[in-house]
Amino acid sequence: MTTPTPRVIVPSAAAKGEVFQVKTIISHGMETGLRHDDQGNVIPRRIINKFVCRYNNSVVFSVDLHEAISANPFFEFSLLATESGRLDFIWEEDGGAVYALSHQLTVG
Amino acid sequence: MSLTRRDVLLAASAGFAGAALFSPGSARANDEALDLVKQLTGRTATRSDRLRLMMPAEFPTGYTVPMSLDIESPMTEADHVRQIRVFAPQNPIVEVVSFRFVPQRSLPRVSTRIRLAKPQHVVAVAEMNDGNLLMTTTWVRVATDGCA
Repeated sequence: MTTPTPRVIVPSAAAKGEVFQVKTIISHGMETGLRHDDQGNVIPRRIINKFVCRYNNSVVFSVDLHEAISANPFFEFSLLATESGRLDFIWEEDGGAVYALSHQLTVG
Repeated sequence: MSLTRRDVLLAASAGFAGAALFSPGSARANDEALDLVKQLTGRTATRSDRLRLMMPAEFPTGYTVPMSLDIESPMTEADHVRQIRVFAPQNPIVEVVSFRFVPQRSLPRVSTRIRLAKPQHVVAVAEMNDGNLLMTTTWVRVATDGCA
């Protein structure tokens, strides 16, 4: 499996009180654990099971993912611009691996 | 066009009581969705127009079916939605996803893509901060199994 690569699209600036949109995607096969290989062995489950968005260290949006989320999990959600600071995007994989991105937002 | 064996089998299976979730808009499907939510959450949900689950009625592949959710909520401390869970009753694993929102920080709307194994009513359940459960369903016909 190739290394999962996360990407986000989020504005760099927003007015205070404004709603801004966030688009996130991570390249990931989301192996469900329901498939078998050529020898008939179960291919073990390996999915992104959690996504969290933090805004200046407070969780503002989170997702529990199960097997039925498509490969390359994509989420589009909306946040309220409250103050300047850092947005952290964190994806947690079965087995404990974590993939993360952060983004600076200026609120004027 | 001749009637194939498949057509006959499909017509026959449509008559079975357990096949209600395969047919759009039936009263029985509604009851089954409510029962399912009761079974999964231990509580009774109320069908509500405030919660909207938007998916294509027909989609060629079950691997990546677009899904958008939103709910009318002021998202204040006193009145907000805690989480929205999505279930696909005809998938091998029924629970699909759950989203958590935070009052005055996030809006209760989200889009993603999900897998569906067969045509079915997809169920969304919103848990409000007062503990009430609101529910909605939408019928989606997929042409291929997205879980194989």
